[in-house]
Order: sequence, then structure tokens, then C-alpha cells
Amino acid sequence: MNIVVCVKHAVDESELRADPAGKPQLQGAQSKMSAFDRNAVEEAVRIKEKKTGTVTVISIGSGDWKKSLKEALAMGSDKAVAVNSGQSLDALGTSYYLSRAIRRAGPVDLVIFSEGASDTYHGLVGPMTAEWLELPFLGYARKLDVGDGSVRCELALEEQEEVAEATLPAVVSVVSEINEPRYPTLLQIMQASKKPMEEVALDSLKDERVPPVRVTVTDVQAQALSRKRVVFEGSPEESSKKLVDALRRDGTI
Amino acid sequence: MGLFQTEHENVLRTFYGPDHAAYESVLESLARFLGAEVEPMSPRFDEEGGGIAGVRKALFDQGLARIPFEAHGGISLPFGVYSLAMELVGSADAPTAMSIGVHNMVAEGVFRFGTTSQKESVFSDLISGRKLGAFSLTEPTSGSDAKSMSTTAIREGSGYALNGSKMFITNAGDADLYLVFAKTEKGHSAFLVDRSTPGLSAGADIPKLGMRGSRTSEVRFEDCHVPSESLLGEDGSGFEYAKSMLNGSRIIMGSICVGIALTAYRKALDYSKQRALFGQRLADLQLTREKIANMRTEITSGRLLCLYASRLKELGLDHASEAAQAKVLSTEMAARVCDQVIQVYGGYGYTDSDVHRHWRDARLLAIGEGTSEVLRMLIAGKEVSGQR
Repeated sequence: MNIVVCVKHAVDESELRADPAGKPQLQGAQSKMSAFDRNAVEEAVRIKEKKTGTVTVISIGSGDWKKSLKEALAMGSDKAVAVNSGQSLDALGTSYYLSRAIRRAGPVDLVIFSEGASDTYHGLVGPMTAEWLELPFLGYARKLDVGDGSVRCELALEEQEEVAEATLPAVVSVVSEINEPRYPTLLQIMQASKKPMEEVALDSLKDERVPPVRVTVTDVQAQALSRKRVVFEGSPEESSKKLVDALRRDGTI
Repeated sequence: MGLFQTEHENVLRTFYGPDHAAYESVLESLARFLGAEVEPMSPRFDEEGGGIAGVRKALFDQGLARIPFEAHGGISLPFGVYSLAMELVGSADAPTAMSIGVHNMVAEGVFRFGTTSQKESVFSDLISGRKLGAFSLTEPTSGSDAKSMSTTAIREGSGYALNGSKMFITNAGDADLYLVFAKTEKGHSAFLVDRSTPGLSAGADIPKLGMRGSRTSEVRFEDCHVPSESLLGEDGSGFEYAKSMLNGSRIIMGSICVGIALTAYRKALDYSKQRALFGQRLADLQLTREKIANMRTEITSGRLLCLYASRLKELGLDHASEAAQAKVLSTEMAARVCDQVIQVYGGYGYTDSDVHRHWRDARLLAIGEGTSEVLRMLIAGKEVSGQR
């Protein structure tokens, strides 16, 4: 079983602060493997541990993006491909280059994405990559059963739950409830640096289908949270009744 | 804010050059674990006066106790990296850090002075966390003057009979293995005593000002018979072993204090940016800025001295004085910084246990493993006698 996991080295959203104008302060912000991608890596490693095979982890990025790949290797992945982007890509471009890197990595049975990146959460790259690869896609899996020649998924959709099956090779995205990602031990972290990591230039992956960048993010603004600051006065009995009435009027309860 | 910050990256670059990236990965991963699994539990450990056993075990599983040892299952990372790792643990939860620091001091003793058999069995159990160690030197009437101890180990048949009492023993009650110092015919010796040995008993937990998450109590030995194989190293060399073990551990206690101070400082810095008075932020008042500058400078200086002493130890150079300097500076620095943090918070600092617990935690480490007074005697003694 050859499994590929695609991970993003994303801004650590828990560290991110907005300036008074609501702009995220990206300068000096730390980055890490997108939180949900750790679930994707964990699932791939668990499947490998059950069925044997290899897990290849791929990431497109720049700067210190290899840190996320090292973490995935420490968690149990076997090899990594670091695609050095050197330019800004939209979801279509990212998925195109990922599909090219996946094909280049060799025969694959299963490609695993997370449900979305923890910094932007567009959730587009997984299904787009499946399109480029011309493979079936099952999104938002909370349980995966890999059989001989097929994958069966329990999908956690917004309004309902579905069970779906796809023939292999296939692309799936997983939700965070699918597993509890392991923390690699310190020894595994040290050993990860000895596992193979290949660096690939973006240009070396191009063919005639390379899409132009069509989407550019022009502004990012933190959501403004406003509080109503309503004070209900009176005895505890009176004020609690007023509070419940207000919540009912608002449709909150 | 994550526990592992740019300041840690920079210090690794400064001290370890091209190797820094590998060490950075280790510490970053440890910090992520600490931030998710240990730091959120810390206020509860303080309030409930215990409960660290689970996170301590989890940190052993992570490999924390393996870091500084180069054989028998160790990870073989430099002592300075271990020192920074313990700073991070101290930042997340000081009692957990102290408990592990003491445990690792016992492991170092077995690693350096133990027999081949002790290294293969006892040491392996210690660095994997299968067994918890306790360092048993201080007695009810002898702390700083440890040589005046009254615990005895009398030859009996093929072993020894231990009699006496040890006081303020970190990990007592939880520990599986006690490294006990006692007087024999040849002088002071060290013994590895299993908790199940008849005649060994741990007293009730002693209530403490801080470090409440860890257990501390008296340990008594009444006709406690141990086999000859329990003797660590050579009969009569125990006191020299203790001094050597303490040299390493004093650096670690200093590092834990750097971690305590850093966590408290970050809280105060955040608070000072949010709290408004006189129409401006607390952080904009000149007197607050003086505190911020002083705290920041002191924390950096403590860390650098701990790392300098660590590097001397790594290089096999005499580091007894520098280890003592690192502990004196860092433990007293942490108490000062945490006191200033309470001042920044004002009334909230005096009443909120999540603020004043840092001062309470730090305060112990200027006493344990060599009081500041004894360490100053050591430092000055070497200077005056011309040993340096």
C-alpha cells in the first residue's frame, strides 16, 4: 500500500494577533504543520502499520516549510518530498503541482488530505488535486477502511452522514475526529533527520497544462467580535428571567 | 504563545552552530507536547497539591530522561540541550520539572558511577521512566552540612543494614528507587534501595509554600537490609559522587527557574498591554517599562549562565563553580522576576494563585540542592583558594 499525504506548513493560528485595524500580524508569526494535517499523517501511518507499505509526505512551500515534513517523518512517514515553491500559488496551482509531485513519486494507492488548512480553511486543494489526477475523491471522512482495491469511508457531512466507497487509487480528505495524532518521541524526532527528503524545484514539475494564477488574496481582515454589553438588573430571579426572555427574543434558545 | 520561541532558536544557533537545526526540532516538538498536555494542567496541580504523575510518565515516554546520556538507551544530546529542555518543562509546570530533574540526577549517578549490571538494569529502568528515582541526602538535622549526616550503613553478612532518616525528599512516596547516602566504615557511601525493601518507609506528604504538584516527605530506614550489589560505585566515595551529581543538577535547577521566570514574565507583559490606567496602557508607563526591561535582561542572563555551565560540563571541564553561579543567579533571579510580576498585576497578583504560584515555586530552588549561601561559599572558596 503506497500512501501519499499532502501537508501544509501554515501560520500557527493560535499565535496570530491582529493589529488595531484588524490586520493579522504575520511578521514574526511562527508556522507549523497545519493542525488538521497531523490527522491525515496519523491516519496514513496507522494504515501502513496495519497493511504494510510506505507513506510519502509532500509539501509545497518555502522558508522553513521542511519542518512540517520532518514532523511527519518523525510521526512514522517513510520519505518526504519538499517542493520549493518560491512563488505565491492559488488553490488551482497548488493542486496542479501537488498532482505532478504525486505522479512523480511513483505508483500510489491512496492520497490523503485533511479537510482544510488550519490557517485559511478553504478546503479546495484536496478535491482539485483529485481532478488533476483523474482519481475519485471522498471528502470529510471520519473513518477509513482500506480493503483490497477499494476504500470505504464514513463521511461527516454538514447535514447528514454518508457511507461511500471508491475504487483505489483514490483521494480522500479526513476530518480531525478521525483519530488522535501521536506525538513523536524525541528519539523519533532525531531519527527523522536520517529519513530521505528530496527537494524538488517547482519548475521541474511543469508540463503544458500548468495553470496561470487566477486568484489573488488582496486583503485579510480578522473577524470583528462585538459584544452587546447588556446588563440585566434586579434580584437573581428577576435578572435570570430577563436574560432568558432576551435570549428567546434573539432566537438563541 | 508557544513555549518554544525565537529566543530559543537564537540561543541554539549561538551555542551549537550548524547542529542547531536538529536540536531545534527536538525542543520544538517537546514544547508542542508541553503546551498541549502539561501547561494547561499546571494551575490544577498547584490548587490540588499533586497530580503530576500522569504528565511525568508521559514525558518519560517522550524520552525526556534519555536526552543527556550517550549510551545504554540515551539519545546523546548535549547537556545544554537538556538544560533548555528542562527550561521548557519549567515553563510549562515547575513541580513536574523539579521531579524529573531530581530523577535524572539519580540516573546520572547510576550512569557515571554504577556497575555494568546497574547500568544495564537500573539505569535502563530510570531513563525509560519504568522506575522513578529519589535523591536522598538531606536529613532532619543536616542539610547544607551534609557530611554531618547520621544515617548509617553497617556491614551485615553479605550486605548492609541502613538506619536513619532523610528529610525533604522530592518524589518520596512515588519513587521506586531511592539513592541513599549513608556512613559506612570507609566514609560516606551511596546505596540504591528499592521502595519495597523492608524497613524503608516514606512519611506523610509535607505541605509546601510552592512546588505543590510534586510530593515531598521524610523517608525512614529502620534495619533496612540491602545486598552488597546495592552499593553505588566504591564504598566511601559517596560524598564525592553526590557533589558531582549536584554540579549537573544545579545547572538544571537554574534552567527550571529560567523557565518559571519566563512564563511569569510573559503573563505580566501581556497583562501590562491590556490593563489601562491614567488613560494609557500599563505597559506605556515608564516605571512599568523599567520592570519589563529588568525582567527581560535578568531572564536572558540566567539562561546564558546556565548554558555556559552546561557547555563546560559537555566539554569535560571543571564546572562546579559555574554550576553554582548558574543556580545562585537563576534561582534568585526567578524569585525577583516573579515578585515583580506580582507587582505588575497589583491586587490581582497577590490574590490570583495562577500569578503568585510562580513566585512560590521559584522560592524553593534557592534552598534545595544547595542553598544560595552554601553555593556562595563554594564559589568564593574556589576564588580565594586560587583553585581557578
